[in-house]
Amino acid sequence: MNSLRYGLLWFIPLAILLALAPFISNNYIVQQATFVCMYAALALSWNFIGGYTGYPSFSTSAFVGFGAYAGALLQNAGMPMVLAWVFATIFTGIFAACLGFAILRMKGHYFAIGSISIVEIVRLIAASWSSLTGGGEGLNLPIFRGGPEHAGMVFLYSFLVLMLLAVITTVIVDRSRLGFGLRCIEQNEDAADMVGVNVNASKISAFVLSAIFCGTAGAISASWVSYISPPDAFSIVMTLKVPVMAMLGGAGTIFGPVLGALVFVGIEQSVLSRFLDYNQAILGLIIVFLIFFLPGGLLRISLFQKLKQRITKPSTPEVKS
Amino acid sequence: MRFSKMMSLLSLAGFLTILATKPAMAADDVIRIGAPLALTGALADEGKKQQVAYAMWLKRVNAAGGINVGGKKMKVEIIAVDYQTDEKRAQQIAEKLITQDKVDFLTAPFGSGHTKVVAGVAERYGVPVMASVASSESVFNQGYKFLFGTLSPNGGITENMAKMFVKVMPNVKKIAILGREDVFPKSMANEMKASAERAGLQVVYNETYPVGMLDHATALSKIKASSPDWIYISGYTQDLVLARKQMSDLKITAPIITMITGPSYQEFITALGPVADGVTSASWWHHSALYKSNDVFGSTQEFYKEFVAQNKSDPDYVNASAAAALITLQKAIEKAGTIDKAKVRDALAATDIMTFYGPIKFGPNGMNQGRELPIVQVQKGKVVPLFPDVIKQGSLQAIK
Amino acid sequence: MQAYIQVLTNGLMLGALYACIAVGFSLVWGVLNIINMMHGSLIILGGYLTFFGWFHLKINPLIMLLIVPPFLFLFGYVLQYVMINRVIARPVLATLTLTFGLDMILYNFMNVVFEATPRRITMDFGSFSFYDVVLPGDRLLAMVLAFALTGILYWVMRTSRIGRAIVAVRMDKDAAALMGIPINRVYAVTFAISAMMAGVCGVLMAVTFPVTTNISGLLLGKAFAVCVIGGLGSVPGALVGGLALGLIESLSGNWWGPQNAVLTGSVLMIILLMTRPTGLLGKAGYE
Repeated sequence: MNSLRYGLLWFIPLAILLALAPFISNNYIVQQATFVCMYAALALSWNFIGGYTGYPSFSTSAFVGFGAYAGALLQNAGMPMVLAWVFATIFTGIFAACLGFAILRMKGHYFAIGSISIVEIVRLIAASWSSLTGGGEGLNLPIFRGGPEHAGMVFLYSFLVLMLLAVITTVIVDRSRLGFGLRCIEQNEDAADMVGVNVNASKISAFVLSAIFCGTAGAISASWVSYISPPDAFSIVMTLKVPVMAMLGGAGTIFGPVLGALVFVGIEQSVLSRFLDYNQAILGLIIVFLIFFLPGGLLRISLFQKLKQRITKPSTPEVKS
Repeated sequence: MRFSKMMSLLSLAGFLTILATKPAMAADDVIRIGAPLALTGALADEGKKQQVAYAMWLKRVNAAGGINVGGKKMKVEIIAVDYQTDEKRAQQIAEKLITQDKVDFLTAPFGSGHTKVVAGVAERYGVPVMASVASSESVFNQGYKFLFGTLSPNGGITENMAKMFVKVMPNVKKIAILGREDVFPKSMANEMKASAERAGLQVVYNETYPVGMLDHATALSKIKASSPDWIYISGYTQDLVLARKQMSDLKITAPIITMITGPSYQEFITALGPVADGVTSASWWHHSALYKSNDVFGSTQEFYKEFVAQNKSDPDYVNASAAAALITLQKAIEKAGTIDKAKVRDALAATDIMTFYGPIKFGPNGMNQGRELPIVQVQKGKVVPLFPDVIKQGSLQAIK
Repeated sequence: MQAYIQVLTNGLMLGALYACIAVGFSLVWGVLNIINMMHGSLIILGGYLTFFGWFHLKINPLIMLLIVPPFLFLFGYVLQYVMINRVIARPVLATLTLTFGLDMILYNFMNVVFEATPRRITMDFGSFSFYDVVLPGDRLLAMVLAFALTGILYWVMRTSRIGRAIVAVRMDKDAAALMGIPINRVYAVTFAISAMMAGVCGVLMAVTFPVTTNISGLLLGKAFAVCVIGGLGSVPGALVGGLALGLIESLSGNWWGPQNAVLTGSVLMIILLMTRPTGLLGKAGYE
């Protein structure tokens, strides 16, 4: 499909640029690149349930936090870091599947509220189950040995790989029957059911897909920061930011979330350093701007769409834009 | 322009913008101290206290020409950045300060949790970090060599309180403990339980409340039912104000009511009015101390006077500890005669000085050695120190 | 036994406050189909304004009850007309995110202007006792006022023209439009009423709690829970939901310890969302 090829045209250079970051600039830029990869992975995850299926999920932080705690506990029990990440991912997936059975029967507003409440509930559980999670005091993780440059590279590449995996998964889903089914569900769930789409299985699959990369991201983050605590692991701000990034780039597209994450992190960085006191207000303004003027995200701006049409069909009479 | 080209240019542009932000500053005659602070978010109040204190120290130091580094005077610059009480941001900003802004030293923000995060970053880069508001052992038991904290460990406070209260009021036999499920308050609650048991008291109630509790009535009613002689509650200012008020409403009282760390802050007393009377607390410093020192302030009195003149309110231990942390750093630099990070780190480890805030001597884990921490009580709307004897201005009064 | 009555009383008083927190939020959700993430911050705004009126100008908070809510009414009306009206028809993701963005702006503004220090109005309202059951004066007053004002709101909704128009729009927007009801005006008024009730709640809270921007998210969470439990878009629903939540938190805190009080409420909310999303009093409505 053409849109895939065009997306790759800018995505591949971006990925290469990110991968080269440790060699062409200092550790701070490497860290920024790491954040871009992390948020891109999170936004891509959300895209499965929020973009393709149209279910406004705000559970991102629940899965990130769950993965963080799972990874931390496993690492503290002696498991090597990367293996802990893998298992954390698996556990998060199982958690999402169970959760999906419960909350995917809700729709629209109720689903949105339900998904936010999940974040709160898991946070409260983590906070009160102190014997397991350390409660409010949080959990320490073994510090990653090796100088800061080395650590920076390791985590950059970890998140980069995660982002690539998320992109590949998105491409596969996009072109598969699952993707088709999800799009049908987004349009009209009952009609999709009648047409023969297995609505429940599809929704749960999308939900699980939306969770596993978050879980990995959480586990990697925990190892990166070496300390987690309930309010930081289950951050409401993050769970609201991630859908915004996906929407900014274009929900339901393959590369939209990546673009959204890149632009958002870029803006956040330039804002952060210049406007100490008004950070939140400016981010709020960006969100307002997004909702009013970019309803479909950057990748769906009509100007670009029309240009794309021109490019893909050179033989038809020119469409005046 | 072709769509895809536009996109790749956009992303490139985005990246270049990030690359282009602030090239490293070249000035060599300035000592740069990075200060991640919570200026917005849940800990905004506390972050500002640190900021105020840092500014006071900075003014005096630069007015004297700077810090004496091996014979040359170098001015100091503090680079303060808001990390919005967000853990990942704290880490990000600590890294940025070190790699982009090329700071020589760091300070840690308020609270044990985020101090841990910043300390982790500093440790990786070998940058000494001064923690002025972290007192939980769990922050300092990570084996960090570059972390130094001016607050003494929590445990000392509860030990002193238990011993003293039991001695002065021997009828006190039962204690009820309610702690907030959060790094520092939880630790204080745990320490109290341990100290109480060691002092022979019976712990009749020991629960925690989650972050974000809007109503303590249930817990308080249960506490009332267990008839304790001593009620001990830990949390942040708004929790404690609410709890004390509800206790008063529900007519719950006991001969001793202790709150950590509410009464150490002026806003606690302001928000409660006369109901604040009688509440005991412990702190790491009280402004009525009579320390005389060889630092930029010279004595506790001096610090107190300047603070009150500038801010129209009494300084609390956060302000004092923050200023003391920078004083300690200054002394270490002077002693090392260089701003080489490793050498300053060694000088810090060997610190044994007296400041307006009190003696500072770091133990092997980087914490200021436990010493006699003030126990205070609110009497007639004022904070009165009860212990230790050198600063004692009043005696423990039972609450009727 | 007496202890239980105390627990129940605590629960009811808390519940009345919860009801007040939620009633505006519930109206907007039920009628405009919008989840207003700013609600918590609006309450805090009301609280701060009340506090500063009392602290600097020595105005009694009960008088502020006449000043703050109308101000917030206007604020809400303008906000709705200018901003929220544009996204009325869009799906929940867009509207929720928009109000979240607006909330960030308001929150930042309040932090900069008012600062986050917890503030409380220290007026002593005393305390009343009925056979060992204690009722703190300020909470009692807040409860009475909450009931009274919610009651007035209910009566207004039922009898006034605009009130009935709101109910009509809630029941069936298109039919209401066909009957000649100016939908946009109704929307704006509903939002304004919601903001006004948030203001009322803010005034009451300033008297009973230390007010700080840090708790705005918490209040919003309570509003969610109350709406789910009690049902959307109706005043009685908010009342029932609020009282129910207050009682649940109080009782579960008593049985299972304070650390689980809030958790119980949230879990219950999830269960209700799964089984009976319309709540105790709600009718099948917006999904």
